[in-house]
Amino acid sequence: MSAQPSPIGEPVLELKALRKSFGDTEIIRGVDLAVLGGQRHALIGPNGAGKSTLFNLISGHYAPTSGDILLNGAPIAGFAPHIINRLGLSRSFQITNVFPRMSVAENLRISIMGRRGHRLTLFRSIRSLSAVNDEVDEYLQNLRLTRRRDSLAGDLAYSEQRILEMGMALATDPAVLILDEPTAGMSRDETTYIVDLIRRVTEGRTLLVVEHDMSVVFTLCDHVSVLVYGEIIASGEPSAVRADRKVQEAYLGEEVH
Amino acid sequence: MINARTIVPLLAALGLLVILPLFLSPNLLNAAIKMMIAALFALAFALAMGQAGMLSFGHSAYYGLGAFAALHLMRAVEHKLFGFPTPMIPLAGALIGFLFGLVFGWFATQRTGVYFSMVTLALAELLFTLAPTWNALFGGESGISTIRGPSWGINFGSDADVYYLTLGWFVVSAWCMWAFTKTPVGRLALALRDNEQRVRFLGFNTHVARTLIFAISCLFTGVAGALLAIANEAANYTIFSAQASANVVLQTFIGGAGTFFGPALGAMIMTFFARITSDLTRSWLLYQGLIFVLVMLFAPQGLGGLADLHARKVRTNGWKHLVAPYLLCLVVGLLLIAGLVFVVESIHVVLTDAYLAKRAAAKGEWVPYELFGQTFEPFSPVTWAIPIMLVAIGSTLLPVARRITARAWLAATRDVPDEPIAPSASAAPVAPPS
Amino acid sequence: MEYIVVSVLNGVVHGLLLFMVSAGLTLIFGMMGVLNFAHAWFYMLGAYVGFTLTRLGGFWIGLLLAPIVAGLAGVLVERYMLRRVHKYGHAHELLLTFGLAFIIEEVIKLFYGDALVSYQMPNYMRFAAFTIFETNYPFYRLFMGAVALAMFVILYLLLTRTRVGIVVRAATYRPTTVEALGHNLPVVYMAVFAGGSALAGLAGAVAGAFYPTGPNMAVDFGTLVFVVVVIGGLGSVVGALIASLMIGLFISFSVGLNVSIADLFGLIGLGSWASDVGGLFTLQLSTIANSMPFLLMLLVLLIRPAGLMGDRQ
Repeated sequence: MSAQPSPIGEPVLELKALRKSFGDTEIIRGVDLAVLGGQRHALIGPNGAGKSTLFNLISGHYAPTSGDILLNGAPIAGFAPHIINRLGLSRSFQITNVFPRMSVAENLRISIMGRRGHRLTLFRSIRSLSAVNDEVDEYLQNLRLTRRRDSLAGDLAYSEQRILEMGMALATDPAVLILDEPTAGMSRDETTYIVDLIRRVTEGRTLLVVEHDMSVVFTLCDHVSVLVYGEIIASGEPSAVRADRKVQEAYLGEEVH
Repeated sequence: MINARTIVPLLAALGLLVILPLFLSPNLLNAAIKMMIAALFALAFALAMGQAGMLSFGHSAYYGLGAFAALHLMRAVEHKLFGFPTPMIPLAGALIGFLFGLVFGWFATQRTGVYFSMVTLALAELLFTLAPTWNALFGGESGISTIRGPSWGINFGSDADVYYLTLGWFVVSAWCMWAFTKTPVGRLALALRDNEQRVRFLGFNTHVARTLIFAISCLFTGVAGALLAIANEAANYTIFSAQASANVVLQTFIGGAGTFFGPALGAMIMTFFARITSDLTRSWLLYQGLIFVLVMLFAPQGLGGLADLHARKVRTNGWKHLVAPYLLCLVVGLLLIAGLVFVVESIHVVLTDAYLAKRAAAKGEWVPYELFGQTFEPFSPVTWAIPIMLVAIGSTLLPVARRITARAWLAATRDVPDEPIAPSASAAPVAPPS
Repeated sequence: MEYIVVSVLNGVVHGLLLFMVSAGLTLIFGMMGVLNFAHAWFYMLGAYVGFTLTRLGGFWIGLLLAPIVAGLAGVLVERYMLRRVHKYGHAHELLLTFGLAFIIEEVIKLFYGDALVSYQMPNYMRFAAFTIFETNYPFYRLFMGAVALAMFVILYLLLTRTRVGIVVRAATYRPTTVEALGHNLPVVYMAVFAGGSALAGLAGAVAGAFYPTGPNMAVDFGTLVFVVVVIGGLGSVVGALIASLMIGLFISFSVGLNVSIADLFGLIGLGSWASDVGGLFTLQLSTIANSMPFLLMLLVLLIRPAGLMGDRQ
């Protein structure tokens, strides 16, 4: 797998005074956030804090009301999702979001052939695209899905669908990968498995992860930002954030596990 | 995949189609031409529907435009404006179909689901209502007609010539559409059908992709329209009617929109069915509607889907379990159909003017009526007993047949993991990004 | 002046008729998301039931029973057909009702033949309500308009002012929540479908006595009712009324106007050029009156897909 080079330590994704209102309700109330190259950044916050809205703004599903989103220094706020993806930001979804009536290999192939410029290729058979097909095999192996390559995605177990879903986002080879609750709805064992997998396949990449499970945050990430009521109230090393009084009051209750 | 198991039957079918004209009566030869055109139309429609999930309710627009494009070209040749080989005339249909597919598709694909269907419907209805008043282009209400000119040493005067021309274009077009499913865009079509939202977040401009796929579907639809124009040497505005769009939807879904050859099969069967039954009974549209509704209710994946299901799931020696139950089902089905047909046809005969005149002549007596070459007394117990017995036996056996078939199905498919059968008519539920 | 007054009158009545036929579909589409292709065929069914019962028992019995028969047919369709295919999605429901339209039409044709039937209003309703510009204006047109307006008022009040209406409207937005609150949604859906079909049946019985009742009456409305529903907006009764009146007025005005695009070019001195080009430019507005509803629908679908009064897609 080839990771796009992202300058280590430089901001890759920056949010500046980002705001989003739906009608009279302001959901995102001026968020400033910088995700640095190579950083594994967790976004945590209580339910309704606006994490999903923030992800939808970043990935182009919504246009922000005001403020800026910069990807590698270039503004992307309000761009269409496919443009943002091509510029190097890819997302996974909280709800399983695969192509249920296509095989696992074909699901991955959509991502890979798109990135390799075969978005509207009409006069070549997919079998002749050996670079694409080799890469599909490579991803299958890395995601430990080779065994399931010809199963319909809709027939996979839930945790496998989540892995595939993340793999599809990863296979567009983004500079920043954003994952929306990758372990939601999983058992303890499945969570351990997928966290380990994510660590391995996203080696060296810039990550932004929404996650509820604190143990996942602490194993996977090296930086944590806390979003409460549409504002970032703390940002820093996991241990520092854990110790922050504001965070403890607002989000974590009495104690952090 | 091209392998011996698929290539051999296909070659055999092709060989059969090539020698067929030697054995067909002129009437049947004409029917065969119409069946192939319908099959091509259905394949083209299914390219948008079955592959990419775009349920167009206005494909008659591109069918008609293809036909008129071909007619104008033929007229230009007829009037010696310039020369153009007759066998290549469908190219005009392809070009016009593709261009209008791009333009109309650009608008239609901005919407999804039933709203997409409504846009396509509106566009076709617009043409349907405009065409009869637009003399220069569509020849007003009477339409335009022309003749096929000879070229390449063939005079194209006989139906056999037209048959081979149609067959050639059918085979080439079907092969192209088959090849399309193997291209990156063909695969993308499947992804768009399954989950358009996700495709967008993987870096694809789905609007452009959907427009392109729609236009390709319209291209082959235009070829089918042009072939119809060549065969009939004429067309008028009714080719744009909602009825024409409806027919292809019907045929495609009866055949199975989710499979590649299903739509062609459905179109051939239903065109043949229409040809045969419309001569026999005036209620053939009723029977056609019934077939469609029954397929939608009980075999939503269509005939092709059923065949596919059997091919995938029945074990090699599983068929021996199924033969007897299927024969039973056939018998039950025939009993019920016979009862229904008897009732419908009797009602029909008894309400014809001819019969009413006979009754008037007999001073209002319920005189005997003729049906299937037999004479029946309207109120004799025998007459009533026939459909009642047929339906009664049929419906008593129906649950039995279902039970036996279900059991046999289990026996014939044991050891094969159960896969959910995805419905062919609807897109899979799309998870909104939350 | 005469032209304007008569056009307005005819347009309004035609629009109200259109509303009468499509009101039920607005309800069904808005509440259940089912685009019932067979809706106009329930209208046809109503007309034929009205015709039959007028012969057997009288006009008013027909008017009373036609909606009941159509409503019962709706119950059967919803309970035994639509509910079965609901899991395959709305497109599949659309296809099913599409096949159903064939069956209804052909069964009616089987019994009543291919010719028009003579469904007439009672003689005591056959008089001129008033005379305008030396033309008698039939009372029955006013009667149809009144029925349509009554239908609108009742539907509107039912949806906005009653408990049932609130449940039904809530079900449009949050079906699962409504179900969790203990409302039996399948029954609500069945009632909505039956109600919508009954409205179409009533429209058929009322309008069939004035307009020709024959095998083509459903096809003529088949796509037009979609136009009304789409233009009006999802489930909006007010929107459907406005859309119907718009279409009615549009058609009645354009039928009498011999204006072409070339004439418009004439205003800026390009008239002869446009006439030479011919084709679309010289088509008279009156001859393309029938295309107008579809053009309107297209514009609405492309510019404001939620419809005039709808608030979501």
